[in-house]
Amino acid sequence: MRGQGVSFIAPLLVLMVVAFNAPIVYMLGLAFWEKGRGFTLEHYEGLLDTPVYLRVLGNTMRIALIATIANVIVGYPLAHWMRGLGPRARLLAIALVVLPFWVSILVRTYAWIVVLGNGGLVNRALQWSGLTDAPVSFLYNELGVTIGMANVLLPFLVLPLFAAMIRIDDRLLQAAASLGASPRTIFWKIYFPLTLPALAAGTLLVFILCLGFYVTPAILGGGRVPMISNLLDTLINQIPRWEQASAISTILLIVTLVIFAAYRRLDRKASA
Amino acid sequence: MMDGSPWTRRALAAMGIFGLAFLTVPLVIVIPMSFSSAKALTFPPPSLSLRWYATFFGDPRWMEAMATSTIVALISSVAALLLGGLAAYGLRRGTFAGRDWAEGNFMGPLIVPTIIVAIALYLGLAKIGLLGSFVGLVVAHTLLNVPLVIMVLGVAIRAFDARIEQVAWSLGASWWYTVRKVMLPNLAPSVFAAWIFAFIGSFDEVIVTSFIAGKYETVPKKMFNELILEVNPTITAVATLLIALTVLALAAVAVILGRAGKLKPTLV
Repeated sequence: MRGQGVSFIAPLLVLMVVAFNAPIVYMLGLAFWEKGRGFTLEHYEGLLDTPVYLRVLGNTMRIALIATIANVIVGYPLAHWMRGLGPRARLLAIALVVLPFWVSILVRTYAWIVVLGNGGLVNRALQWSGLTDAPVSFLYNELGVTIGMANVLLPFLVLPLFAAMIRIDDRLLQAAASLGASPRTIFWKIYFPLTLPALAAGTLLVFILCLGFYVTPAILGGGRVPMISNLLDTLINQIPRWEQASAISTILLIVTLVIFAAYRRLDRKASA
Repeated sequence: MMDGSPWTRRALAAMGIFGLAFLTVPLVIVIPMSFSSAKALTFPPPSLSLRWYATFFGDPRWMEAMATSTIVALISSVAALLLGGLAAYGLRRGTFAGRDWAEGNFMGPLIVPTIIVAIALYLGLAKIGLLGSFVGLVVAHTLLNVPLVIMVLGVAIRAFDARIEQVAWSLGASWWYTVRKVMLPNLAPSVFAAWIFAFIGSFDEVIVTSFIAGKYETVPKKMFNELILEVNPTITAVATLLIALTVLALAAVAVILGRAGKLKPTLV
């Protein structure tokens, strides 16, 4: 029977249309409409004329890219190592990846102030070992923001990557070994290509999340490392320029949805 | 097979352990710091005390924020569970056109960057005069929770054999009776997990709340505002309490799903 079950989704659909879709459409309207004159691109021209906006945009892209690469460098070996663990150790490792994923992002960001501060663990270790004399400033600069973001997003890469890795059949690797392939060849010619769709999907996901990051740059950047979200906060809450904020939000929304579409394609491939 | 030399193995183990440490060390450090007697954030703490917990529990503003967070999380998680649960059922068992579109839309709050949801809601609520209202706050939290509920319950409903429901109907049970007596008892562990996830999601929400809550202070909003101004050791106590809450909630989910043998499909 076709057409059954609509009544079950109806209540939620009404809520979503009123409280989610309508506000977003209204925001798009502010970005492209001017009272009495209809469609306009003037708010976008305003963006191009203001060097600050372009600088923040460039900043955001750069930090997002570095944090994503750092995630891959730390996350891939971690997921690969977890695959080779025994059942008990593996379960413990999964728990240690899943738990931070659920802990408030505020707590995880704040923890870095404690770890990376001038009297923090890392600086004390560096000075004790004699590597540096004066404390290294990790906080309130791009380095701190990048570390904090990479930390928050790592589970988003490791969990799907690990899930893809444990699906790889060991017999495939044994077959290659029995035919005389070296460990290096097996890794690069068989194992790595099989993990590539999941790696690419995870990387895109992390990159999208980086672009919209708000809390971590606000706290670990101390106002000195503005990213798009912090700029939007200023345009809404401090110098009310809602049209400008809507215009920037629209760009961020479109970029996100395009990358997300690519992510979905890769993710389907990875779990197929 | 891919292990190679003992050196390769050791290097891989070192990188893996580094990764786990990178993820967990910050959380592990915060806990002892919250019992420090010192005002400065030095590790290890010079001596132990409960003064930051005393400050937290003795501050009426923190207690009020705690009450607001709890009430908003309770209402919005139950609302998301009801609306999202019904929708998940309709999406899995329904045959109407546009199901994929509807599901994509329900997942929207998870896909669209939270900052954009915050701005759209800010502008929309300002337009209709509900900016800073309790209703606006609860509705916002509800729709942010919906994607998680649909994901968890969607998996559970798909795994539940539709023929069991058909048997109940063919024996004359009404739809509502089938849900109550057949579906819910079987899906109870997943429903509980979905509710816990929604509750934590709302209790920890900071971005949208900071934009639209107006005079209402929640724990994360207050924490965020204080962190931007100055580093206050009371926050370490709040952070430790939030970590404890999360560990307890996840442990409860793991025990209940583990007993029902449903742990794996929900978490991975």
